[in-house]
This record gives sequence, structure tokens and C-alpha cells, in this order.
Amino acid sequence: MLKIENLHVNVAGRAILKGINLEIQSGQVHAIMGPNGSGKSTLSYVLAGREGYEVTQGKITFNGQSLLEMEPEDRAAAGIFLAFQYPVEIPGVTTINFLKTAINSIRKKRGEKEMEPAAFLKLQKEKLTKLGMDAEMLKRGVNVGFSGGEKKRNEVFQMAMLEPKLAVLDETDSGLDIDALKIVSDGVNALRSAERSFLVITHYQRLLNYIKPDVVHVLAGGLIRKTGGPELALQLEEKGYAEYYGEGEAA
Amino acid sequence: MSSATAKESFMPAPAQNAAALPWLAETAAIEKDKAVNWVKALRATGAESFARTGLPTLGWEGWQYTNLRPLSSVKFHYSADAAVFDASRLPAPLLDSYRIVVVNGQYQPKLSSLPKSVTVQSLMDAATGHAQGLEDALVRVGDLAQVPLVALNSAYLRDGFVLNVAKNADVDKPVEVLFFNTGNDAAIYPRVLYRLAENSGATIIERHLGMGSYFTNIYTAIAQESASRLRYYRAVNESGNSFHINMAAVQLQKNAQFEGFSMATGGKLTRQEYQLQLLDKDVCCSIGGVYLINGQESHDFTVLADHFEPGGKSAQHFRGVLDDQARTVFQGKIYVRRSAQKTDGYQSHHALLLAPTAEASAKPELEIYADDVKCSHGATSGQIDPVALFYLKSRGIPEQAAKALLAEAFINEAIEQVTLEPLRELHRARAAQWLAERHT
Repeated sequence: MLKIENLHVNVAGRAILKGINLEIQSGQVHAIMGPNGSGKSTLSYVLAGREGYEVTQGKITFNGQSLLEMEPEDRAAAGIFLAFQYPVEIPGVTTINFLKTAINSIRKKRGEKEMEPAAFLKLQKEKLTKLGMDAEMLKRGVNVGFSGGEKKRNEVFQMAMLEPKLAVLDETDSGLDIDALKIVSDGVNALRSAERSFLVITHYQRLLNYIKPDVVHVLAGGLIRKTGGPELALQLEEKGYAEYYGEGEAA
Repeated sequence: MSSATAKESFMPAPAQNAAALPWLAETAAIEKDKAVNWVKALRATGAESFARTGLPTLGWEGWQYTNLRPLSSVKFHYSADAAVFDASRLPAPLLDSYRIVVVNGQYQPKLSSLPKSVTVQSLMDAATGHAQGLEDALVRVGDLAQVPLVALNSAYLRDGFVLNVAKNADVDKPVEVLFFNTGNDAAIYPRVLYRLAENSGATIIERHLGMGSYFTNIYTAIAQESASRLRYYRAVNESGNSFHINMAAVQLQKNAQFEGFSMATGGKLTRQEYQLQLLDKDVCCSIGGVYLINGQESHDFTVLADHFEPGGKSAQHFRGVLDDQARTVFQGKIYVRRSAQKTDGYQSHHALLLAPTAEASAKPELEIYADDVKCSHGATSGQIDPVALFYLKSRGIPEQAAKALLAEAFINEAIEQVTLEPLRELHRARAAQWLAERHT
């Protein structure tokens, strides 16, 4: 589904990713763990198409399409979703209106009909209940006045509504207490399917107790240093990232 | 206007300004009218004053940012003849409302409908009938030498109307005042007086539109007696080749409530000026507006809230969206006299620039002589937040639609203050439509 080959990325002239190789199959959950500043968020933004991230080498293929030439909105239509580490507050745009516009923009791009209001309402109700969210929240400005946990929950809600093929969760666990972490993880697990893949980016192993990964990668200094099964996450929890510092950091 | 600002900005004017004279050439057309003496005197004073000053240039206090030179590139003509138009082609009212129709500044009684509690007369009929207090209300403009466009309006004092709301009346529906302009390089100088008697309430929705090329220079006087309540809305959507200048002088007596809001789109150059005088205790007024402009359009909001007595509240909330080479000016001032203790004043202007070539100028001012007051202001101009834009795009919303959505949200925050709900909805829809059409 997703294939990243020899990806080099500069931000403001500085090399952040220095040759990432990663392949995610349909239905798999991959976790990327790494210390602060290792390039985890950069990878997530490059996948979503944020400006200011200069790809100097390599390529990304998503379901056979070359991703890097695509605008963020076209990537969304192709099925990529990024749950932001810091969800953005947008005063004056209600979450409902925002999501309707998003869903219908994507449908339009795919050559599908707009979603019927009744169908939208039904879908929204179902997903809200699963995430233990109040419908009132959707009538407020996107993320305006939300607590950290509510913002993350709103990200997962949007993901549930948009039903992407690949969801990238960028430190979705940060700022969550245990209860919120459970709810958010349940929301993610409910979406797991043979056709949907996840890339879960996190600093801590904790999240992976709830979202069980198939593959775990350690990202440090802009390179994937190690790849393994879920047991790798547990090792990291014990030993920390110390052994990955200092390698290949000459640049 | 007899305002504090006017005094400090006094500029000696030359004896006569050659450029002013063509503007006054058509005053002869109304000299033959049977007008009462004070009307004739006011015309003469206006003409004399304007002959000295001409149009304000960039050196004038209050005109540093709005250049009227384009106005002089067209030769506009005043016509004293009855306006010729096809009544069936006038736009239908916006809402279920009473109606006053004004074409090229001339009040059209046959097309107007009003409830018993409201009386309307053409300005000249009101003057001839010696309507009580009319002279005071119209001569009140103070030193004309300081407000050249009001002087010009006075030189042609003839068109417009006087509206009275009876004591204790609460007008059950809004009164829509349609100002329709038919073009042909017309110069239009209406003078309008809204008078609300004690404890009366009304909602007025002015609509300004037209076709072709014209210059409309309006003087609007609003006189509110104690405990009266007025919602004064302006929807300005003049033709692309037009100039719209309005001076609204609002006088508020004890416990009066005034809610002003203006929405402007279109027009080559639009200036809306408000001078609010909170003359007695415990007046509550808010004035706000939005503009959406593109191309070479320019818009100017100039507002003075002048607090005379204690306990007054004034709030100013303005926002605008600019694209292409559009230009905007906001000049807002809260003036608190020594006696106006416990004044609560607020003022803000926020401009959203959709193109780097658009330009916003703001001059917020507080001038306070009382010691126990609460006044604040804020002014910003900025572009679409790139982080918010990326967030929307990452959810599948195309760039243009995402920008429109953010701009709409920005402008809706100011539209919120309109308390007449159906009008608020219309304004929202108009803003959405403008944003959707802007690049089509």
C-alpha cells in the first residue's frame, strides 16, 4: 500500500530525514518510535504534503501513485489521513460544516455523489457514540476551546468519518490521560481492517499496549535504525533510546 | 460636525479653489425652487464653503488614506428633473418589511408603504411644512469648512426625506429604504433624517445599489430621543463604477440604544463615516461593519464615538476581506469628555488580506479626558493562517474552497453582531457568495 524509498528531506536547509525505507502492506499497523528530534513528525508531514518540507531524494508510492507530486487535498482523496500532533483551532468554522465540506470535496474528486444529509447524520451519530463525544462539540468552532484530550478525540472522530486507507497518527497519545488514551485507542482499533493501514508515531510504548502494532521501527537521527515486532517496543521502554544516539550524526 | 476632532484639525483654506467650481455648476438648477429661507441660506453657505475647500485631499485630517482623485476624473452631473426609471425592475424587498423607495436621491411616495406610527415626507415638503425642529436637525452640521462633502451636499440641499417614528411606537417590521441609482454619471446628494421620538423603537435597513456610473454623497442625520431604540443597517452594494460617500451623524439622548451595522461589497470607492454623539447619560451604542472588496475597489470606515455624559457604552467592531489590489481604511476614535465618567468604549478592526497586493490602513485612536473609564482597542491585518489552511487541505478540501471557508469564518465573526436574525443570515449568505464567486 505505502512504499517509501530512500527518502531524504530537508527543512529550512537542514537534513532531517536521511534515507528512509519503509513498506506498509494493506491492513498492517506500523509503529514508528524515536526520541525527540529524530524526524518522526517530519515524516508524517511529508506524507500529508505540508509545505516547507523539501524532498531532496527518494520517492513515496501509495497504491501505485507517486505521492510527492500530489497536493494535500489530493492525497486526502486518495485515502491518506494525518491525525495532527497539534490539532489546529479554527474559530468560526464548525466541525460539522468542516467535515461535510471535506467529505463532499473528497467524494467530488473521486467522481462520487455528495453524501445525503441523513446519511451524514447517521454516520456522525454512530462515530460520536463510539468515541464518547458530545454532539454539541461539533457545533463549535473546530477545536476551539477544546482540551488537549478533546482535540485528539476530534482527530480520531474525523478519521472515523473520512475512512482513510492509510491513517498516520502523529503522537496522538501525547497529552492524553489513561481514560482518554483508551477511548482514542478503541476508536482506532474499531477502524482496523484488512483494507486499512496505520502508521502510528509515538515517543512512548504506552500507546502500543492499546494499539497492537504488527511492525515497530526505531527512527533516530533521520534513519530507521531497527525494525522488529511488538517486542522491540518493550525493549525500548526498558532501555530507552540511548543506544541509537550518536550513530551517523556526523551531518 | 461640531466634534472635538474637527477643532484640532482645523486647516486654513484658500479663498477659492478652481477645482471646486465645476462641482457647483448645477446648483443653478435648484435655485428657482420655492424653498423656505433657511434652506436657501444653508445651500448658499454650503456652496460658499465648498468653493473654498474643494474636495478633501490627502492633506486633510481624516482623509490621509482615501484618495478622492478618481472622483474628479469623471464629470458627474446633478439633475433636478424627476428620475426616470422602470419601477417593475426595482429589486424586491430583502425581508418582510415596510418600504421607502428613493431613486437617484428622490423619495418616491407612490412606491413606499409605511405603518401609522411612521411618517415620511420628502425633505422639501417637510421644510415647507415647517416640520418641527427640522431646521435644527439639518443645520446642525457645524462648521461646513471642515467637512467639504457635507458642504457639497448642503449646496444641493433638496433631495432625500424625513422619517419620524411616533412616541412610544414600536414599529413591528423593519423599514427597508431602497436607494436605487440609475447611473448616467449622475451626482446624487440626498439628505436623510431619521427621528425617533421618546421611547420608540424601529429597525431600518438601507440598501444602496444601482447601475452604471454615479456618485452618491449622502448626509444621514439620526436623532434619537430618550429611551428610543434604533437598529440602523446599511447594505451597500453599489455598481462597480460608482462612488458612495455617506456621513451619518447620530445624536443620542438619555438611555437611547443604537445598533449600527453596515455590509459593503462592490463600488469603486466607498466611504462610510459615522459620528456618534452620546449626548446624555447611559447611552448604549454599537457600530460595526464588514466589507468584502477586490479588484481596484476601496473602502473606508471612519468612526467617531464622542462621549459627553457618564455611563455611556460604545462598541465598534469592524472586519473586512480584501483581494487583488483592493484598499481599505479604518479610522476609529473614541473621544471621552471630562464629564463622561464610567464610559465603556471598545473598538476593533481586523482585515484579512487574500492577496499580497491588497492594502489595509488603520488608525485607531483613544482620546480620554475623564479619569474613570474603560476603553480599549485593537487593530490587525493579516493573511490566511497557513497552518489552518494545511489542516483543511489535509482533510481533502481544495485550496480555494479552504481559503473561502476560512475567510467566511473570519467575516462571520463580525456579522454575528447583527441582532436581526434574518438579516444576519442574508449577510452570511452574501459573504459566502462573494467568496465563492471571487475567482470565477
